[in-house]
Amino acid sequence: MLKMTHLSKVYRTEVVETYALRDFNIDVKEGEFVAVTGPSGSGKTTFLTIAGLLETFTGGEYHLDGIEVSNLNDNARSKIRNEKIGFIFQAFNLIPDLNVFDNIEVPLRYRGMKAAERKQRIMESLERVGLASRAKHYPAELSGGQQQRVAIARALAGSPRLLLADEPTGNLDTQMARGVLELLEEIHRDGATIVMVTHDPELAARAQRNVHIIDGQVVELSEDPRFHSVHAVADGAHG
Amino acid sequence: MQIRPILAAMRHHKAGTVLIALQIALTLAIVCNALFIIQQRITRMSRPSGVSESNLFVIRSDWADKSDTQRIDAQMQADLIALRQLGSVQDAASTNSFPLRGTGWDNYIKLQPDQPRMTTDSAIFFSDDHTLATLGTRLIEGRNFTASEVAAQKPRDAMHAAQVIISKDLARRLFPQGSALGKTIYVSMGQAPSTVIGVTDTLQAHMTGSWAGPYAYNAVLIPARLLNDYTYYLVRAKPGQLEAAMRDAPKALFAQSRMRIIDHKDGVMSFAQVRQRAYERDVGMAILMGIISVVLLAITAAGIVGLTSFWVGQRRKQIGVRRALGATRGDILSYFLTENLLIGIGGVLAGAVLAIGINLWMVTQFEMARLSLAYVVAGVAALLVLGQGAVLAPALRASRVSPVEATRSV
Repeated sequence: MLKMTHLSKVYRTEVVETYALRDFNIDVKEGEFVAVTGPSGSGKTTFLTIAGLLETFTGGEYHLDGIEVSNLNDNARSKIRNEKIGFIFQAFNLIPDLNVFDNIEVPLRYRGMKAAERKQRIMESLERVGLASRAKHYPAELSGGQQQRVAIARALAGSPRLLLADEPTGNLDTQMARGVLELLEEIHRDGATIVMVTHDPELAARAQRNVHIIDGQVVELSEDPRFHSVHAVADGAHG
Repeated sequence: MQIRPILAAMRHHKAGTVLIALQIALTLAIVCNALFIIQQRITRMSRPSGVSESNLFVIRSDWADKSDTQRIDAQMQADLIALRQLGSVQDAASTNSFPLRGTGWDNYIKLQPDQPRMTTDSAIFFSDDHTLATLGTRLIEGRNFTASEVAAQKPRDAMHAAQVIISKDLARRLFPQGSALGKTIYVSMGQAPSTVIGVTDTLQAHMTGSWAGPYAYNAVLIPARLLNDYTYYLVRAKPGQLEAAMRDAPKALFAQSRMRIIDHKDGVMSFAQVRQRAYERDVGMAILMGIISVVLLAITAAGIVGLTSFWVGQRRKQIGVRRALGATRGDILSYFLTENLLIGIGGVLAGAVLAIGINLWMVTQFEMARLSLAYVVAGVAALLVLGQGAVLAPALRASRVSPVEATRSV
């Protein structure tokens, strides 16, 4: 589903080159729930932005759902983001001027979907996150947990192949965080592939597999023995 | 088109939206009326005078000794002979006024001596047998004056003209059913009848103001030399010799007699200068209206650029989120163009009503003509295009916002 091989990301200024990712290798299979952990500045957010085609990379290869994405133009990358990837952000990233229904509708409109189908999908995804009654509410009228559920509904409405979550419970209190995590687990049980970036070890422990990043490289793997199809590589590990 | 969500989002930016729509409305209302005024002035300025203007010039000679009208009469006749003899001059005639002069005589014209109300009003040009040739104005009916018909006339004496030549517009006004030739009209306050012996092609009156609109092409030529304190000499130069004739003519007049004043600044004027002077207020008004229109359009465009730039800056994160969710650069560009178009449509609808309202008010207050709807339609189109043009740069900037902005915390 998601395979990065010898991938690198370099930020260049006039005087210095900074490697955000260096010889980065990861292979996430379809249906996996992977937690990516690491200290601040380790490169986990850079990994997520490249995985989500929000940013380009400097070297190496990246295959997403069998497509080599390095040579795709901006429009093709937008199309893949729209059709194959669902994003869940730490700050929810709902559009404050739009109500819940319209927020979830945003990616579906970019797909050119017909109004009737959009409505059906929006209501289904709202049902799934338990917020069908809040369709006409604005984000500011919802709690943090509810806003994150709306964000998850928005990610699910497009039936993505891959869900990318960036610290999905980072802005929530414990109780709300638990609710959101349970929802993600439920979505995973239904067959979704989820890659979640987090610095919370407790949260990471709930995933099937942990990938640890330090200084832009995968250095440590912990694998759920029940899941045998994992082939993440730790090149140049520091232990 | 994602019009519904854009409208929904605009409800959260009411103040900016309403202000820009209002600015567009006011600009449209004022620009439509300003352009209409410009068009009216240009139309007025482009009216034909009926005079062959290119080689024509005018000399104003003020008499130093105004008491002796007999001497003035003799001097005028001598002046005309001297002018006509110049090598650079084709013909010359004296007159009290001429087309586009601005001031002059205009009399009530009647068809019956005891008629209580005038039939129309007309410019009175004192003329001789050389006037039509000098002006380059064609006779379309009848005959010209003969030299023997031209008499002297003191300003305060009752005007008597047994024969007159009239312009075709006046002829049509007085005798809409048929030819004016041989008909009798009354051109003075007295009871003296005048017979129409000729009809000229188009000939403009001296008055150019908007009040004179209905009489602008009414002219009566009277065969007389007006013995006033001053006289105008209309002089037609030979083709290509206008400058030489304008130099030679005053010298020839001063050679006749130095008992006259010819103003060094505007005593001798080409007809091009006469035309320029006649319409300088119209030109001034047209330029002022043009400047007001350009300034208003520039302010509106700047307002749109400013507000959209502010919105782009304010919504940077939101744009990044939209890009992350699959919006292409074209989608973002289209979002801002559509948003501007919707505001613009609101503005121009209000503006069109306001434009017509302002015009109707001016119609009642200043006798303005009714605004043509074509101006409103053109104004609406122009402002919508201006709006789209103004929003393009900030919208393009918005479309270049990276989707990675969605992951930034601020």
